[in-house]
Amino acid sequence: MKGEIVMKYKGWLLPPALRDFHEGRIWLKNHSPFSTADIDKAMKRNYLHIIEGIQMEPIIKCNRCHNVDPHLFTIFDCSKCQRQCSYCRHCIRMGRVSSCTQLMIWNGPKAIKKRMHSFKWAGQLTELQQLAANETLASVKAKRSHLIHAVCGAGKTELLFPAVHDALKRGLRICIATPRTDVVLELYPRFQQVFPKTIIHALYGGVTQQNGYAQLVIATTHQLYRFESAFDIMIVDEADAFPYTIDETLQRAVTKAKKEEAPIVFVTATPSQKLLNAYQHESYSFIPKRYHNHPLPVPKFCTLWGYDKSFKRGEIPKRLRKWTEERFERKEPFLIFFPTISLMHKAIPLFQLINEKILAVHAEDPERKEKVWMLRKNEVQGLLTTTILERGITISNLQVAVIGAESPIFTASALIQIAGRVGRNIQFPDGDVLFFHHGITTEMDEARAKILFYNKEGFSQ
Amino acid sequence: MNKIESNCLICSQLLKSTISWKMLLTKRYSPTICASCAARFEHSQSATALYQYNEAMKDYLHQFKFLQDVALAKVFRQDLYARFNKEKAIILPIPMHPFKQQERTFSHTDELLKAAHIPYIQLLEKTTTETQSSKNREQRIHVASLFRLKTDANVEHKDYLLFDDIKTTGTTLQHAADILLQAGAKNVQYFTLIEG
Repeated sequence: MKGEIVMKYKGWLLPPALRDFHEGRIWLKNHSPFSTADIDKAMKRNYLHIIEGIQMEPIIKCNRCHNVDPHLFTIFDCSKCQRQCSYCRHCIRMGRVSSCTQLMIWNGPKAIKKRMHSFKWAGQLTELQQLAANETLASVKAKRSHLIHAVCGAGKTELLFPAVHDALKRGLRICIATPRTDVVLELYPRFQQVFPKTIIHALYGGVTQQNGYAQLVIATTHQLYRFESAFDIMIVDEADAFPYTIDETLQRAVTKAKKEEAPIVFVTATPSQKLLNAYQHESYSFIPKRYHNHPLPVPKFCTLWGYDKSFKRGEIPKRLRKWTEERFERKEPFLIFFPTISLMHKAIPLFQLINEKILAVHAEDPERKEKVWMLRKNEVQGLLTTTILERGITISNLQVAVIGAESPIFTASALIQIAGRVGRNIQFPDGDVLFFHHGITTEMDEARAKILFYNKEGFSQ
Repeated sequence: MNKIESNCLICSQLLKSTISWKMLLTKRYSPTICASCAARFEHSQSATALYQYNEAMKDYLHQFKFLQDVALAKVFRQDLYARFNKEKAIILPIPMHPFKQQERTFSHTDELLKAAHIPYIQLLEKTTTETQSSKNREQRIHVASLFRLKTDANVEHKDYLLFDDIKTTGTTLQHAADILLQAGAKNVQYFTLIEG
């Protein structure tokens, strides 16, 4: 054994996990899940590009969330850099970005993209779904942005499968973004089932880190602040949901998270006029009919004068009481939408006098998921809710009432979404949609007119 | 830095600010949080604290200290100003360990006082980087001295008032008071924002 030299590699090899994680992401240097030694080595090789957290010129801007609102920056005397620092309050929940923090962008070798993806889906698209799926696929292939306008319960998710599969096969990275965490939680298992061998990550606030390089990412729009020029295709589901439409930084996040030439596919049941104007005459698919081939339930208007006063007096208005009792007699699950949390809290004890099997949920309710689950499992029969349950909830034979449908929070699109909860199951394609009101608004009229229009379009032949 | 907040610092709801004669003629800070966020804080019965620790306070401290949202120092500036502006004793905020302060990028007790424009001085320095919140009651009480005098500190025979964000067992404040009394302070009192 004399003369043999034991060779041991003393250099540094890039851990593939580091590359897989950081590719496409813009990340705080001191928040990386990898060791500082590895990060420093990667930086030395120029694998990680460093930019400052807050840019001052020409205007103050957060380089992670692209917030430019001067009210959302605070200046303070920083003990770390001994100077005056600014930080962004807009994205502070993701770890503070200040003038002296560094953001890292991956600039090194690219992750290995698989081109073999198993596609396991036995379902059948309806004729209209197939047409929309083909149109979407063609648009995506041509790198053209596209709008899919399909009524509630039309089967929007399924018609994305062909386009997603095609992109995966081409080794592209795809993101499905949505403003609602509930939607992420619903989409993720469905996609994982259809693409069982593909690494899919579901990203939302509070999720734990997932391993590997995900070629398909399903994320809330908030999570897109943490990506930069990452995706070859961006799909925005429920593109009209709160807060996406009113928060401009979320819209900018969608644009910055994708590569410059990457197309965006918007999917929604209630597109804004702005979206329609932009895509209606170019790249647009419209499905006015549900997958089960039954018309959408049309909302009925019912007066409920001075409902807030009767709740204040401690009474449920007569018509509403009758409607609720009827649901119990017929053993139908139901949702009652309220315009404000405070009115709902006033009402809930009164409703529980009718029957104990009624609960109330709102956005910050820690038991929100459990309560919806109880309704699904038939442990409670009805829920009082705010607009938080306006979308993403599918319960068979559900009946719906809206209290104070004239309130400004119930926009036409909110009302269409609420009406869209009813009759989604093929066995119960119809049901009650009642708008209890203290005066009819144009928004209510618009919602009803649109639903009638969809039914006319879908069943004209 | 005296900008008027247009949105609530906690829930970012729009603030309806009304300018009144009282505000113009007396020194009052404009509100930084909305009425419903303010209502979630619970006033303390104690004479040495402003607030009682509760769920809202827990969220506040999390955002202020853990998420490092320095702007939240302003939330209690009116209350602190009202308490301290006629104070005759010399105010000493409880210091952080320099490493800790660098890590957090600011000292929360200093910032609370700065936001209310209350003059303060610094005589003590922290000797340990361990946090009180990581220890149980027994460990907190039986611990070596947490502070020492700064090298150039000059403790006079005067009244001192220690200020901290929160008091749970009082060990921190006790340690600081002991050091000052040993060094010749006439009297040492304490006051905290929150009573744990």
